[in-house]
Amino acid sequence: MSRFLFVVPPFTGHVNPTIGVALELERRGHDVAWAGVPGATEALLPPGARFLSAVPDEVAAYVAEAGERRDDARGAAGFKFLQEEVLLPLAEHMVDGVDAALDAFGADVLVVDQQALGGAVVARRRAIPWATSATTSAELVDPLAALPKVAEAVHQMRVDLQVRHGIAPDVAGAGDLRLSPHLVLAYTVEELTGSLAGTPAGEVPVRFVGPCAVGRPEPGGFPWDRLSDDAAVPNVLVSLGTLNAEVGERFWQAASEAFRGQPWTGVFVAPDHLVPDPPPNVIVRSRVPQLELLPRLRAVVSHAGHNTVCETLAAGLPLVVAPIRDDQPVVADQVVRAGAAVRVKFARVRADALRAAVHQALTDPALVAAAERIQASFAAAGGPVAAADALVALA
Amino acid sequence: MPETVTPEIVLAQLEEMLVEVIGDDLLLDGPLTMETSFDQDLQLESIEFVALSEKLLETYGEQVDFVGWLAEMQLDDIIALTVGQLVGFVAANAAASGA
Repeated sequence: MSRFLFVVPPFTGHVNPTIGVALELERRGHDVAWAGVPGATEALLPPGARFLSAVPDEVAAYVAEAGERRDDARGAAGFKFLQEEVLLPLAEHMVDGVDAALDAFGADVLVVDQQALGGAVVARRRAIPWATSATTSAELVDPLAALPKVAEAVHQMRVDLQVRHGIAPDVAGAGDLRLSPHLVLAYTVEELTGSLAGTPAGEVPVRFVGPCAVGRPEPGGFPWDRLSDDAAVPNVLVSLGTLNAEVGERFWQAASEAFRGQPWTGVFVAPDHLVPDPPPNVIVRSRVPQLELLPRLRAVVSHAGHNTVCETLAAGLPLVVAPIRDDQPVVADQVVRAGAAVRVKFARVRADALRAAVHQALTDPALVAAAERIQASFAAAGGPVAAADALVALA
Repeated sequence: MPETVTPEIVLAQLEEMLVEVIGDDLLLDGPLTMETSFDQDLQLESIEFVALSEKLLETYGEQVDFVGWLAEMQLDDIIALTVGQLVGFVAANAAASGA
């Protein structure tokens, strides 16, 4: 039996899929553990999971504080902030901790998230087999292809990180910390990413396993009796994800106007104060049991976070996507190209455009057909079983 | 192709193009100025950069290669990029071709 150490950042979407994979490995008798940020990462793991802290408490506090500060940073400034103020310091500080976790746990294989590159540094330094955990499909494609100078600077930043931690410059300069040469687990399907040929990910073994997130404890108290049971009045979820609800003031206003008087029931995942005067056909809740809701929905309006997009497509539902930042514009592009989503702007969204997009998502059979196609390819991709097969083969 | 490509003319044309790309909400915060920034003020998304680039090519010809110009930039240059800089780039290149 083998030991697998998952190295993850403290972000829900990046931890969730690893839980499904880890449970499958455990079912086969292997040992699994996670290394990450104390508190924040631990809170995302199932009860009883083995967790090894990879950073001191003050780094955990810094990461939490940086997460709050980046609320206003979008676009190129947001990218810079995420890379330089969050991910690079996190990688820097995780190297020693992952090293210690490895000594304590004795892993045969590291599974390293693309936003926890400290794990990749350790794996390279100690020549341990490692797999990339590509929790978002955006880092599989080459999002900086049009900006070679920026791509070069980001690459150099990661080379410097390795050199600071004792990896020879020529070794550090080869390859890409985001893409293990041994295995890349992609929790998506090629129908969404498009062909990877000609991109850096085309050079490494990528295994498309589809979504691997497991069911999670969901909040109770949802007013189920307010959902529509009438097929002529479809239910539509509107969610900007766990991190973005507060930046959406204008979006929620437009969404309220868009839904007012329409033959739809809206479920808005927003704090009450951002939707002060909801129309009668809109339910506003700060948290919802999203997985339990999906079978009752006909469409989802989303910020195009990878998890929500995957859960929606796995239910065979079309989307309206309003990407906000980070990987979301790339994920949104992918779903639109696959034919399963209509895109609207987030920053300057207007009620009439949003209303038209929701109407299209509810009535255009081509969108539903594309969503159902992706649903089928998700189901065929193998999920945690395929991911575990690939990881066990590395051990 | 305009007879003379002055910064004022380019600014006005750029405003028209951006309204087409972004929508007329662009002007809710006041007219486009030379100081307006693409990242912070306009929050231009990557697909909107591509759309703007196509409009620049249609209007001024292939010597105004916005995508090629951006490709030479570092991250800080892109964050700081203003409408005035693009106006200067258009005026210089459209003029250089004998427009």
